[in-house]
Amino acid sequence: MLELVDLHRTFGDVVALDGVSFEVPAGHIVGFVGRNGAGKTTAMRIALGVLQADEGEVRWRGHAVDTATRRRFGYMPEERGLYPKMRVLEQLVYLARLRGTPKRVARERSSELLTTLDVIGDPNAKVESLSLGNQQRVQLAAALVHRPELLVLDEPFSGLDPVGVDVLSAVLQRAAHEDGAAVVFSSHQLELVERLCDGVVLIDHGRVAAHGTIEELRASRARNLWRVEVLGADASWWDVVPGAAAVRTDDGVAVLELGADVDPQRVLDVARASGDVVSFGPVRPSLGELFREVVA
Amino acid sequence: MSAADRGSWRLVAVRDFWVRLRERSFLISTLLNVTVISVLVLARASGGIGGPPSFDLGVVGDADVIAIASATAERAKDAHIEVRVHEYPTYGKSEAALRGGSVDAVLTAGRITGFETIDQTLLALVQTSAHAQAVNAVFDEHHVPPAERAAASNDEPLEAGVLEAPPPHRQDNAAIAFIGVLLLYGQLFGYGLWVATGVIEEKSSRIVEMLLSAIRPRQLLAGKIIGIGVLGLCQLLVIAGFAIGLGTLTHAIDVPGTAIGAAALDIGWFILGYAFYASLFAAAGSLVTRIEELQNVIVPINLTILVSFVISVGSLQDPNSPIAVAASILPVSAALAMPVRIVLGAATGWQIALSLTLLIGSAIALVPVGARLYEGAVLRTGSRVKLRDAWRAA
Repeated sequence: MLELVDLHRTFGDVVALDGVSFEVPAGHIVGFVGRNGAGKTTAMRIALGVLQADEGEVRWRGHAVDTATRRRFGYMPEERGLYPKMRVLEQLVYLARLRGTPKRVARERSSELLTTLDVIGDPNAKVESLSLGNQQRVQLAAALVHRPELLVLDEPFSGLDPVGVDVLSAVLQRAAHEDGAAVVFSSHQLELVERLCDGVVLIDHGRVAAHGTIEELRASRARNLWRVEVLGADASWWDVVPGAAAVRTDDGVAVLELGADVDPQRVLDVARASGDVVSFGPVRPSLGELFREVVA
Repeated sequence: MSAADRGSWRLVAVRDFWVRLRERSFLISTLLNVTVISVLVLARASGGIGGPPSFDLGVVGDADVIAIASATAERAKDAHIEVRVHEYPTYGKSEAALRGGSVDAVLTAGRITGFETIDQTLLALVQTSAHAQAVNAVFDEHHVPPAERAAASNDEPLEAGVLEAPPPHRQDNAAIAFIGVLLLYGQLFGYGLWVATGVIEEKSSRIVEMLLSAIRPRQLLAGKIIGIGVLGLCQLLVIAGFAIGLGTLTHAIDVPGTAIGAAALDIGWFILGYAFYASLFAAAGSLVTRIEELQNVIVPINLTILVSFVISVGSLQDPNSPIAVAASILPVSAALAMPVRIVLGAATGWQIALSLTLLIGSAIALVPVGARLYEGAVLRTGSRVKLRDAWRAA
């Protein structure tokens, strides 16, 4: 398990992290969500040792992280970077060896990964000769080639085509759920985060605004909303139910917020008495809606 | 720091070594060096300094004229000069030989004729021989005894001497020192620049963030400096070997021992000078993100090396001038200026010891300074990083 404990970091007068703490358990995929400049990249850089925290600690399996431990982490920085003039395979082998993988093993895994990630092009071609999408896949291969115990990916999905998104999703799920790695990635594609992640960390202005599973976030954050579609009812038919208020209405469809003590069945009874009920059910907010609510 | 981490600089060094070795600019710089040295060595070899001079003297006339020619050949031999005498039956034939270039001059009764000019050495030898023959004729006429003749005909009655004899092979040594300092200048500047551009390459391609998530900045910096430095050293060895080989083959260098010594000296001072400058070049490179901005930040280092080079070349003429002595001791210029003075035999033991101590000491002191600036600046892309900010950020 990766633990970020009370991380603080400032750049001049700008406070980038103001006491950030969260965990990424082994075998889990955690989505790291926040607006631009919220502190995601800074937190990730500190976790990888690329930046130093002013205060706080990064722990892996309960111990403070040192250089030897960091070599077992995999990283895909937001600002992608590879040697443009170095050959693809040679580059992957080099980066794997820097993290302590023996040469022969590094070579085998690099070739394997290039196939798995569906990198199109000659493995002995220079990186700069590949298309941007393929360079991105090579970048991902560089993060995976040493079979990391922890994978930290900064905006890994940006710039990928739909097929690339599927390939990357599968790779991350395999890394976490089959190989037992702890995976954390940042993304603005919230539906992807919702689909892939076991947990979410929502960061805002350098602080963790919410974290947990998506269901937990819903439970803690979401309002008690119900969507009712009734044909032939009077406007404001719900007024007779104390504690029910319309959030929005549209041509027979009403979204009602119910007070904690209001029984939804009572609302349904009133609706049926008012007209023909076509549909009735709770509204499950998407991660995007939760996100907007938290950062608003 | 774990044992595994300590060794990661080697991987960086090996990569940098092979990547630069395969670069076209490495091939070009090697060829350029070899070409410049070939031109210098061959120019020196064809300058006639390589072997003893020799002349062909045509002669037409009676026994007296032939005797002058023979006496000239004898006299030349004493001075380690070869004069070959060719007798011709007629003046016409000797003139044809002169025009054809098979003789350097033709001696006839009372006259020596060249084609366009007559070599001063040959002319002096023939004139002296002719003069001696004339004087001997007078001595014969007056029956002068042999002992007095010898005294009177000695054309070097004065013993010549100097207060301070120059070191032997001074010409050779100056030539070797010049080639040496030229090579050192090229290597120190060229490889220092390569360190700086290597740093920028990693910064501008953003791979530095990937690298620094795996190894420490100092390991990355050390690997880069050592890898590029070893390549510079290998290139220097090849070029020095080529220069000595060519020089010996063409007799441009009489004393290969001195040249080998000078080459070893150059290599030693290259290592020291590179150690001194490389971390500065790396720090300079880490301040900017684009190659085009590099010129602005390395101007001070450039100028220092250039001025050191100019002083070093100047000290070939007067290796004991105050500026030459000072430059050979100050760490910023010692790597270029001191080897010149050592090859010329001008540096004293204490000067060499002081210069080495200062250079090694300051190189050791500069490495952490350069490394700290590098650490503080290498992750900051965008506009140029100020020295003070880089220092504080590390």
